Amino acid sequence: MAKAFRTGAAALVGLAAALLAGCASEPPPAPVIAAPAINPDQLVGKWGFAAYHRDSDRGRTIKEAKAQCNRPYVISKGPGGGVMMNLADQANVSELVLKAGPDGKTYLGPAGDAGTADDRVVTNVDPNSFTTNWVDPDNASRYGTSVYERCGKKA
Amino acid sequence: MKVRTNVLARTAAAAIAAAATFCPGVFATAQQIDMNVVDQPGRVPTPEENQLSGAYERQEVFFRSSESPGTVLIDTNSRFLYLVQPNNRAVRYGIGVGREGFQWQGVEKISKKQEWPDWRPPPEMIERQPYLPRFMAGGPGNPLGPRAMYLGKTIYRIHGTNQPQTIGHAVSSGCFRLVDDDVIDLYDRVQVGTKVFIKQAVVL
Repeated sequence: MAKAFRTGAAALVGLAAALLAGCASEPPPAPVIAAPAINPDQLVGKWGFAAYHRDSDRGRTIKEAKAQCNRPYVISKGPGGGVMMNLADQANVSELVLKAGPDGKTYLGPAGDAGTADDRVVTNVDPNSFTTNWVDPDNASRYGTSVYERCGKKA
Repeated sequence: MKVRTNVLARTAAAAIAAAATFCPGVFATAQQIDMNVVDQPGRVPTPEENQLSGAYERQEVFFRSSESPGTVLIDTNSRFLYLVQPNNRAVRYGIGVGREGFQWQGVEKISKKQEWPDWRPPPEMIERQPYLPRFMAGGPGNPLGPRAMYLGKTIYRIHGTNQPQTIGHAVSSGCFRLVDDDVIDLYDRVQVGTKVFIKQAVVL
């Protein structure tokens, strides 16, 4: 009887120790979200806006975007620090934010997780131009790659 | 040589000329139109959608004409385009034509052929759909489809469409649209300089 008691007690102590050890161990690290590489201010302004589907058309599409400043796409600063832009097929602008994705890409879309369907990937950013591609395959297929060329005085 | 049948067409042409290269757009205006659809830039039709059936399916038909083989005749009332063949035959294509006020007739020649033409949405469309790019390089989903044939010095073209459902309807601003397979077929059969008759009705 006493032996059984000692055995049970030892088991309980072992279990408690294991549980305590588990509690004491480091929790899994939270995902590290790096700050997006692009500042929203870089996107604010008036832009010549054009799109293409085939990479071979990129050069002349950029040239066409530069020629579209007579009807520019205007991006303004949002009240929350983001930028006011249209989502796909949305006539009204909404505030979008820049988000760093776990894949190292910079996404532009509604506040929340990076890489969701309403997002677009932002690439080829310099003070006077940037390129976007929709994450959603349907949007990507329909709208292709968008290029924005700054209008007016170059930054 | 061209005979405009509708004063509205002149007004429309002037307005459209300002838009430079606009053709397929349909605006939600008070004008009576045959089919109330808006352009869907970026829409890529399925192969099934592009397959027409019945009268609008591409087919060879009996066609008595004094025009020489290779000539194109467009019948806007019936929504057919005929490519004259020898021996009283023609290849007939189903087409979409200009909506009310945007139909015209005359004789032109194909002045230019373009594969995967670019598209520039007109200002009115940008106003309504500000998310649209101001220029869309030719490619799948482009409202002008895979081929375009320019009609003389006009702003009008025979071109493809990413809206096969509009074939047989009066929807455009004066251009003539065919489904992709048909416009490619026609493009391959005609040359620059081909004479094109645009009539409200073709009398056989």
